[in-house]
Amino acid sequence: MERLVALWCPGLSEEGPRGEEVRAFDRLLALVRERCPFVEPIRRGVAVFPARAPSRFFGGEEAVVAMVREDLASLCQAQGTALHVGIADGLFAALCAAKADVIVPTGTTQAFLRDLPITSLRRSELAVLCQRLGLYRLGQFADLPHDRVLERFGTDGAHCHRVARGEEGDLVGIRDPSIHQRLANLYEAPPASVQPTFFGGTSANDERALRAALRVQRRLGASYVQVAREAFGHDPNERAVLVPLGSHAIEQATARRTAPWPGRLPSPSPTLVVETPPPAQLLDDDGNVVRVNVRGLLSRSPTRYVVDGSPHEHRVVAWAGPWPVATRWWEARRFRARLQVVNDASEGLLFGFEHGQWWLLGVYD
Amino acid sequence: MFAFSTPSRPLGARPPLPEQLKERAKPVFSASSRTIDVDPALQTLLPRGAFQRGTTTVLIGPEGSGATSLGISLMAHASSIGHWCGVVGAQDPGVAAMKELGLDVRRVIFVPHPRAGWADAAAELLDGVDVLLLCPPRNVPFGAARRLMARAKERRSVLLVRTTTPTQWPIVPEVTMSLTTSSWQGVGHGDGYLTARRVLVTVHGRRDASQPTERWLWLPSRHGAASMAE
Repeated sequence: MERLVALWCPGLSEEGPRGEEVRAFDRLLALVRERCPFVEPIRRGVAVFPARAPSRFFGGEEAVVAMVREDLASLCQAQGTALHVGIADGLFAALCAAKADVIVPTGTTQAFLRDLPITSLRRSELAVLCQRLGLYRLGQFADLPHDRVLERFGTDGAHCHRVARGEEGDLVGIRDPSIHQRLANLYEAPPASVQPTFFGGTSANDERALRAALRVQRRLGASYVQVAREAFGHDPNERAVLVPLGSHAIEQATARRTAPWPGRLPSPSPTLVVETPPPAQLLDDDGNVVRVNVRGLLSRSPTRYVVDGSPHEHRVVAWAGPWPVATRWWEARRFRARLQVVNDASEGLLFGFEHGQWWLLGVYD
Repeated sequence: MFAFSTPSRPLGARPPLPEQLKERAKPVFSASSRTIDVDPALQTLLPRGAFQRGTTTVLIGPEGSGATSLGISLMAHASSIGHWCGVVGAQDPGVAAMKELGLDVRRVIFVPHPRAGWADAAAELLDGVDVLLLCPPRNVPFGAARRLMARAKERRSVLLVRTTTPTQWPIVPEVTMSLTTSSWQGVGHGDGYLTARRVLVTVHGRRDASQPTERWLWLPSRHGAASMAE
């Protein structure tokens, strides 16, 4: 896991009436960027940057922390905020380390996490449940057997369990998902020299394209420019994913999946695949909600649908499916399915049914 | 094998290709030609049967009408014969779908979420690729459109712009394709699955004084790639 320096200014985390905090945070990022260009804001008042290069350059992690404190002293004083700095392996541990103002040496992350309160996971239901069971610390939660956690708390709880054990770098669903990809890219500098193509050499066209792509990367950011990379899946629809240009191995880069559905759905695939599927409702003429029951059939025939974020309701002219997806036995809402829909404008859409409701997965543009 | 893939052995350990294979493996287009070819199945869509280098073609259709599929289909043949291509602003591109339409993704550079930098990204890539598909996020300012069309002309690349309304691109391009009327085949009321879509494309050429032409297209066809539907 990546070793990160995390900064936290509690006074800048809430936006005041005059919006001063946002501007101050921008200035803070600019100051830190003068020392290390790869600062990533996590949320208001919180930022991280990789620890490896600065600590080598400035002579150790304590030196980096002291330097950051010195750089930001006058800004924090002017804003009337405290500054907390911490270093640890992995984003979750780094943020906890900042809260405690400690540098957690590599290899002691698990021990560090054990003493943290269960509320650090920011899951109120899980925390309440654990406290009722007498588990107040992450260490106690981590000691539970993994399969029992899976059974009792579901996949989200299982993920928190792995984070508590130090096996996963960060929680899900709390931060902007692209942050992990951006962090992964901080460790992969764009290639300094031109990489060879399949035929063992580069042509002038290859170099020209690569140079243009690198210019866009420098202008916008490394994660913005992507190329297709072969993915390893027995699923025909998962055979290509997009990864940032220059990532050296698919295992290291957080590859964005371009096909969230399994190969059982026949071609053609949707040309637009929604990264964060919005919820949607499928209804029949009487306004009843259409669901997929455990036998894999629709409860009613859908005649219209609405997608969250759009005020319009659309009519369903034709539909096909639902196709069941391989289910995970431990999930409370066990059924997952896919449905193709054609609306009255002859647009083709792909919906997925998961967690008891519909989501828009793709558009056949 | 994909472009920019890490060699599994150190460079220099790769055995040299036999000379005859090296010759055959070179791109099969000439950089000095004036046109960039499209798939023979789609040639009747374009005035003069191919893209003229340096020109801009605007593809107009609401989201879900197939305009993105059309753009990819027009680019597919070029990518397969060695032209580098770019796709800017197609949020969440379905790479599997693009491969089914015939795109050779080994030579495609994607910038799916350029945000405010979409015009800059497009301008830079026009330097490096021969065909660029741009999906601008909203109405394009006059200056940006003019700059991009001029860049395409200067670099002799082909610019394809996918818009959702006729006014989104403010300058009349060399070719305009509007997608109207489409019908999907294969779905009923719970049965079947989406197999093919029939789309009506209306093509205007700026230079031609003649009437716009209408063409029916399978997009995609039952076999995956696009083809004429007459």
